[in-house]
Amino acid sequence: MRALATLTTANIRSFMRDRTALFWTLAFPVIFILLFGAIFSGPGNTTYRVGWVDQDTTSASGQLRAAFAQVPLLELVDGPLTESRSAMQSGDLRGIIVVPAGYAAALAAAGQPGASSPASGPAVTLDLYTDPSQQTSSATIEQVVARVTASLNVALTGRAPVLGVSNQALQTQDLTSAAFLVPGILGMALMQLGIFGAVPLVAQREKLILKRLGATPLPRWTLVGSNVALRLLIGLVQAVLIVGIGVAVFGVQVLGALWLMAAIVILGALTFISIGYLVAAFVRTEEAANGIVQVIQFPMMFLSGVFFPIEIMPSILRPVAVFLPLTYLGDALRQVMVNGSAFAPLPVDLLVLGGWFVVCLAISARFFRWE
Amino acid sequence: MTIANAADERAVIEVAGLRKRYGDVHAVDDVSFKVQRGEIFGLLGPNGAGKTTTVEILEGLRKPDEGTVRVLGIDAAHQPAAIKERIGVQLQTAALYPYLTVAELLDLFRTFYARSRPTAWLLDAVDLGERKDAQTRHLSGGQRQRLSVALALVNEPELVFLDEPTTGMDPQARRSLWDLVLRLRGQGCSVLLTTHYMEEATHLCDRVAVMDHGHVLELGTVQDLVSRRFHERAVHFDTLPGVDLERLGALPEVKRAVVEDEQTVLYTGVVATTIAALLELTEGLGLEPQNLGIRRATLEDVFLDLTGRALRE
Repeated sequence: MRALATLTTANIRSFMRDRTALFWTLAFPVIFILLFGAIFSGPGNTTYRVGWVDQDTTSASGQLRAAFAQVPLLELVDGPLTESRSAMQSGDLRGIIVVPAGYAAALAAAGQPGASSPASGPAVTLDLYTDPSQQTSSATIEQVVARVTASLNVALTGRAPVLGVSNQALQTQDLTSAAFLVPGILGMALMQLGIFGAVPLVAQREKLILKRLGATPLPRWTLVGSNVALRLLIGLVQAVLIVGIGVAVFGVQVLGALWLMAAIVILGALTFISIGYLVAAFVRTEEAANGIVQVIQFPMMFLSGVFFPIEIMPSILRPVAVFLPLTYLGDALRQVMVNGSAFAPLPVDLLVLGGWFVVCLAISARFFRWE
Repeated sequence: MTIANAADERAVIEVAGLRKRYGDVHAVDDVSFKVQRGEIFGLLGPNGAGKTTTVEILEGLRKPDEGTVRVLGIDAAHQPAAIKERIGVQLQTAALYPYLTVAELLDLFRTFYARSRPTAWLLDAVDLGERKDAQTRHLSGGQRQRLSVALALVNEPELVFLDEPTTGMDPQARRSLWDLVLRLRGQGCSVLLTTHYMEEATHLCDRVAVMDHGHVLELGTVQDLVSRRFHERAVHFDTLPGVDLERLGALPEVKRAVVEDEQTVLYTGVVATTIAALLELTEGLGLEPQNLGIRRATLEDVFLDLTGRALRE
């Protein structure tokens, strides 16, 4: 145990003195998130695109649309509900207003003398979809719609509310949101941290450093343990930096429990470290390791939905995402951190990551050569 | 039989019938030798002779296919961990932990062993005291080599393996390392050394073994090896173009003629007779032997004679 502690200290010390390693593992993700965050979450225009779903298609519903169209904050986009929902999920719309079938009839009935009293609620209800994680835009849209309906109610009857609004929650995966990006970039950083671990490992073997350490009584698990300890530590520091910048600079709200986030970060780091060891088990030279690592990490970065939702990927690429561990790490982090919409249930995410970890660990334990 | 199988109390290394094969290549083929306590033992041979494989088996880094290996009385094939605690290993490696300082690296290695020498002693032994706070990546090749020797001495080993320890060192550093090796022997430490330098083997080694193609070809003191093969002296000169080696070999008193590194070497019982005949022959051909010289046979000659290759190849 003493050797494990001193070896880990030596690893940390070496890492702190290696400016290149420091830059790529700590400064680069920070620059990356600042850059991406600045590009995507700049101050947008002040109109919100809102879907207009007219299931009544009467002159009355047409008048209602005209009333909403006068509000300068809203830009109405007509379409059926299914289309509007998917447009909202992919970030095209900030909300959806649904006018139900029978709207005109209900209004007409409510206008009759002796119609239903206020106690029984409004005669007809508009569905309003907004995304709770988009707090500013959702609150604005809800307020605007409430005000419009209130004034319409007065205008329509002069008394009891005929028209009500029922707010519906619909989680969006908004391309332009830092809340979407931060967990994605954290996942990407952990992926690179783990997989790139193959390169120094192969280099140490190639330069006979592993052999030299093997000639000491040091147990091999100590050597592996100290390397993994260093990577985990860097992973946690990366997580603190990336999430910290997300919160401080881009106003991302961290909703999930910190211990659960830390656990996912550790599991994700372990998974990708084991993939790094798997690469090192089959690659002989440092150059080859560098190449293979790029071949693995680069497509994974773009096919795992860390920068944009999998839903907007071309459909032939989507099945690829289903196999990639980064898909599940990004998904788990997003669900826990910002309560984002799920690609898979959290336990499935964790199981897939754990499965990759166990399989890669078993294969590399079988084939890894110390020289 | 009991006597033959009994462990030799004085031996720090006992190897018998050692074999190791990689595919079709017999890297080590029936190697047997003993190294006594307090002895400096040299293992010589061209690249690919099987030296490295033999040494790695002794260090507990590889398992032999056949044969018995006892190091410090311990079965190296089955208890490598027990051996590693008590031996020192110096390897030709790039900087271990390039961002650690010399002293930090020595301190780190000290934590790997139950018993260790003080860092100051180690720094002093290899003259690296002034560089103790330098990161190892900033060391020169020779300094790095000295550090690797210091790392081999961290655990106060009873037996040290040195793998071409003076490669890349300047003559002064080489001398001071030789002194260190002799000092270690004085303290009862045994040394197994591989080297490409004939002078080093001659100066340091109590006994040497010459290996090639996985076999031990000769074993004994340097003096023994030389006199066993060469009663003659060597007459050497730049190889003459157009003169048959056979014709030179037929000159009076010449026992053998070989070409080595662009030089022709004639081993002769009587130097004067051979040189006179050589000059007569070359004058008749209108030639003059360049860089003509005479020397006693050396370990280099033994090596060349045994392996057909020069030691440094």
